[in-house]
Amino acid sequence: MSGRALPLVSALAALALTLALAAAALALGGYPPGEAFGALLRGALGSPQAVVSITLVRTVPLLLTGLAVALAFRAGVWNIGAEGQLYAGAVAAVWVGLHAGALPGWLAVPAVLTASVTAGAAWAAVPALMKLRLGVGEVITTLLLNFVAIDLAAWLVHGPLQEPRGVFPQTESIAEAARLPLLIPDSRLHAGFAVAVVLAAVLALLLRYSRVGFSVRAVGASPPAARSAGRMPVGRVVAGAFLVSGALAGLAGGVEVAGVTYALYENLSPGHGYTAIAVALLAGLHPVGVVGTAVLFGVLEGGASAMQRSAGVPAAWVDGIQALVILSVLVVDRVARRILVARGGRG
Amino acid sequence: MFGRLNGRRRGWAAAVVMALAACGGDADPGAGDGSPDPEAGAALRVALLTSGPVSDAGWYAGAYEGLLLIGDSLGAEVSHQQTRTPTEFDEAFLAYGAEGYDLVFAHGFEYQDAAMRAGPRFPDMTIVVSGGGRVGDNVAPLIFTLEEASYLAGMAAGGVTRSGVVGMVGGVEIPPVQGTFRAFEAGVRAVRPDATILEAFIGNWDDVAAAKEAAVAQIGRGADVLIHNTDAASFGVFQAAREATEGGAETWVLGMNRDQNDIAPDVTLGSAVIRIPEAFLEVARRLLAGDLGGAPVYEGTSEDVVDFVANPATEARYPDGLLQRIRAAGDSIRAGTLEVPRVPFVDGETG
Amino acid sequence: MALDDARLDAWAGEVHAVLGENGAGKTTLLSALAGLVHPDQGTLRIDGREVRLTTPRRAWHEGIGMVHQHFALVDAMTVLDNLALGRRRGGGFRLDRPGLAREARELGLRVGLDVPLDAPVGSLGVGERQRVEILKVLLRDPSVLVLDEPTAVLAPAEVDGLLELIRRLALEGRAVLLVAHKLDEVLAVAHRVTVLRRGRTVLEAPREEVDEGILARAMVGAEPEPLARRPGPPSDRPPVVRLRGVRVGQRLRGVDLEVRAGEIVGIAGVEGNGQRELARVLAGRRDPHEGSVHGPDDPAFIPQDRRREGLVEGFSLTENLALGLHDDPTWRRGPWLRWSALRARTADVMDTFGIRAQGPRARASSLSGGNQQRLVVARELQGRPRLIVAENPTRGLDVAGAAFVHRTLLDRVAGDDPAAVVLLSTDLDEVLALADRVLVVVRGRLHPVPPERQTREGVGALMLSGGGVGP
Repeated sequence: MSGRALPLVSALAALALTLALAAAALALGGYPPGEAFGALLRGALGSPQAVVSITLVRTVPLLLTGLAVALAFRAGVWNIGAEGQLYAGAVAAVWVGLHAGALPGWLAVPAVLTASVTAGAAWAAVPALMKLRLGVGEVITTLLLNFVAIDLAAWLVHGPLQEPRGVFPQTESIAEAARLPLLIPDSRLHAGFAVAVVLAAVLALLLRYSRVGFSVRAVGASPPAARSAGRMPVGRVVAGAFLVSGALAGLAGGVEVAGVTYALYENLSPGHGYTAIAVALLAGLHPVGVVGTAVLFGVLEGGASAMQRSAGVPAAWVDGIQALVILSVLVVDRVARRILVARGGRG
Repeated sequence: MFGRLNGRRRGWAAAVVMALAACGGDADPGAGDGSPDPEAGAALRVALLTSGPVSDAGWYAGAYEGLLLIGDSLGAEVSHQQTRTPTEFDEAFLAYGAEGYDLVFAHGFEYQDAAMRAGPRFPDMTIVVSGGGRVGDNVAPLIFTLEEASYLAGMAAGGVTRSGVVGMVGGVEIPPVQGTFRAFEAGVRAVRPDATILEAFIGNWDDVAAAKEAAVAQIGRGADVLIHNTDAASFGVFQAAREATEGGAETWVLGMNRDQNDIAPDVTLGSAVIRIPEAFLEVARRLLAGDLGGAPVYEGTSEDVVDFVANPATEARYPDGLLQRIRAAGDSIRAGTLEVPRVPFVDGETG
Repeated sequence: MALDDARLDAWAGEVHAVLGENGAGKTTLLSALAGLVHPDQGTLRIDGREVRLTTPRRAWHEGIGMVHQHFALVDAMTVLDNLALGRRRGGGFRLDRPGLAREARELGLRVGLDVPLDAPVGSLGVGERQRVEILKVLLRDPSVLVLDEPTAVLAPAEVDGLLELIRRLALEGRAVLLVAHKLDEVLAVAHRVTVLRRGRTVLEAPREEVDEGILARAMVGAEPEPLARRPGPPSDRPPVVRLRGVRVGQRLRGVDLEVRAGEIVGIAGVEGNGQRELARVLAGRRDPHEGSVHGPDDPAFIPQDRRREGLVEGFSLTENLALGLHDDPTWRRGPWLRWSALRARTADVMDTFGIRAQGPRARASSLSGGNQQRLVVARELQGRPRLIVAENPTRGLDVAGAAFVHRTLLDRVAGDDPAAVVLLSTDLDEVLALADRVLVVVRGRLHPVPPERQTREGVGALMLSGGGVGP
């Protein structure tokens, strides 16, 4: 039971430490911390519009990539490549979205999302094959493929997928029919949010109660025991988890394109796939916890730009403070875990 | 260097004060019927979006100075945000729109789609997209006709070069940059018809090392005058020229976007400048006069926003009569008798 | 509540044996000595002076050196490098390799610890690794040396050498604490014996005053029944499993074997002669490179490393039981596993197999070694498998735990519908006590032991000579 309460406890402790550290950093730079934090909170949570159109919109890609990382890590697959899989998904979504003008909406949107899921899985299939067939560690391969995917997207918006006039390094906007409907009218919150939350719930149930989820957990906890005692096909389970993880990250890219930007740009993601690792770890790799930590990081990211707008803190400082927050959150989480383990530990 | 730092610090302080003021009494955001009226009490609120740091001593720094100039000259409330991803474009327009800002300078073509989405949502807000390509009721592209000054810089290069080889280092190959390079080429040939002109793009705006590498390569191929259009990465071009000169191969540089004559005064011939601050102030004034929106805004030599500024420290190196010829060409452009090549990119615009 | 009023007195120059069942608290007591666990109550005195061992480093400074059951050695590094790793003393960043080598050689010579300093640890056998570990600790010249179940991993011949070493170390004036299971070993070497039961010291006496019966009674509270060796008439039932020309790399080099229902086939051998591969081929856990295997679909397998292969320590008891049931449609509903039914089943199994735990939801890591093994046995035997492959099934278990496993195996070859059992063990006594027929595995080949040579000495000689046939 304490395992479930843990993320909340450590998140609160992390928040306190982080605030202290960030306040000190801000004060050193000559920016009143109270002012800056006030701006952050108002920017992320200050109005219904801020919550819905800024914070929750930011949450969606973090949630989907966070689920991708959590699933992979639960299966013992160190997928550091959510960023690249996100780009692969975004590229596929844009490509289908640009050609989906003739399709009716009920078909165009699923087509776009299916394309992104498939592309994300395909991008993950490369390191999965290298791991299972050649024994090449996935940490390096997934990381390297991130750079390939990012550069591929950059090349596409400068070349084959560039908007027809060939002027700006971006694609044309995708067809109206291919765009995700809004969840709340007159806001920016799109249906991708609902999709992500439902997926988190489904993933939690599957991991906890289903046979396939049980296999994933067993393989992740101890491959020899899963193979010998559970007679499970360890390679197939690893491959499956890897592909589904890639699919989730790919979906994050597809949802960003179909729900937010409607076009492919060079720097579509500010590193969601990397932040996702922090999101997943802080949630204890639990899908429901990922919803919570993704919202937390959504607040942080959404409010960060308000620190620039309303408190005049320059972007570089905001970035630094964000990184500081992520670091301290992870450190505090580890420490809290260790304390709890020591206290309730084995006799 | 110090000047830059001071400017920045002043800028932050100003923004903080502004934010405090805003917190003090922000009871009525977006008051009135849309046409801002500073006399009626509600101050003009102006925001700036950049996708790069305002410490670049170029494109973004000029915009930031323009924002502060508007604040000083018109008593406007100002705010700035540096965005990193397309998601933040929409977010920023949303935030400024919700807070009742009157004018948002989106300083880069990349904002145009988000601006076109935000326009209808916030009819009381006017969005000006620097280098943008689309026009809406309250969305206007701001086009600097920097080609005019690039042409004049090309004349300087054509006159000064001994080897007859001239190099151009660009950031990303987009029409505004291509435009300046075509005009530069025309300027070089006007003075030195047989010149060889080299061209390279580094693919971004901030990789100083890549810019330097490209410049060094062009020097290696015989270029002795270089021009850049790489924004923050331009330091690499200046560095390459200075090192080549120190190494015995005299090499000259031309600055772009902003008066960069003081970065490396001993090797810089002059700069093709956009006086972005003045342009911004002019735009803000047009907003107050109700003369903004629905059409692109052009700012060039005639508005005194674009100009070629020779470097006083190296004027002596210009061949006799060259500066006079450049000045005369400038007058002809202003008078409309000399047409400079241009690469069009705004919807409905012809070349 | 691992320890409740435990006492222990160790004297310089003496070997003091600590006995107890799994879960009696031996390891916890030793961990307290090593500074890994902090007692809630009670005192610890060294030379009459009360000390508090808050960290392993403190324990070390007080002169306590511990050789753990699980070695902390880096396979890829040489023995000398591993010794250097264990050294905390002085020198800053500089490493005096030649000095260390000299010191290690001298110490090795003095106490009779022969270790190849330049060999990579990965190339050494288990016994040699243990000697490296002991040497590593001895280099710090501890006044109290603690050895946690050091004989568990050794072949019989190696055990004698180790006991001899322990005696010598005590003669040097150290206090040696020895945790062990096997009563005969304890009686052979100890000067003094302490028995723990359920966290309490129930017996402390000099060696002269105890014998096996007294110790066994003290440990379990009652004397266990001695193993009755069944008379083994040759089984005339059809073979349950049949191997023909099985080859796995260089590990198994052409193995033929038939095991019939109702018999226990014992396979003895020094560790590393191919038992591991043979067990997995028999149990259907891996395919041979060559040769054929005919056997039942779902053989039971009790692996020797229960913590790595036998169960998932982070899983609950129920989940560990489910490892053996998730394939069975009875326990599924569509894609879901029937967890409440599985929990009820786990509670039943805990009852039947006498698994002491807080409940079906308790984590396997919270169980003692013996209870973990009961859990593995329970899972593997629950479907009445026709073939049972057991690999060192009593390694690290106490008297009661081992007796339980032995009884269970004997049970399964009795009756009308008996199973076939293959028992692979490095413990000769176990093989001789249980098996109907014995084979010796030497360098990847099997050699049957004729009935007249099925004695400790006879089989032991075959294990070392290569079955008299030669490789």
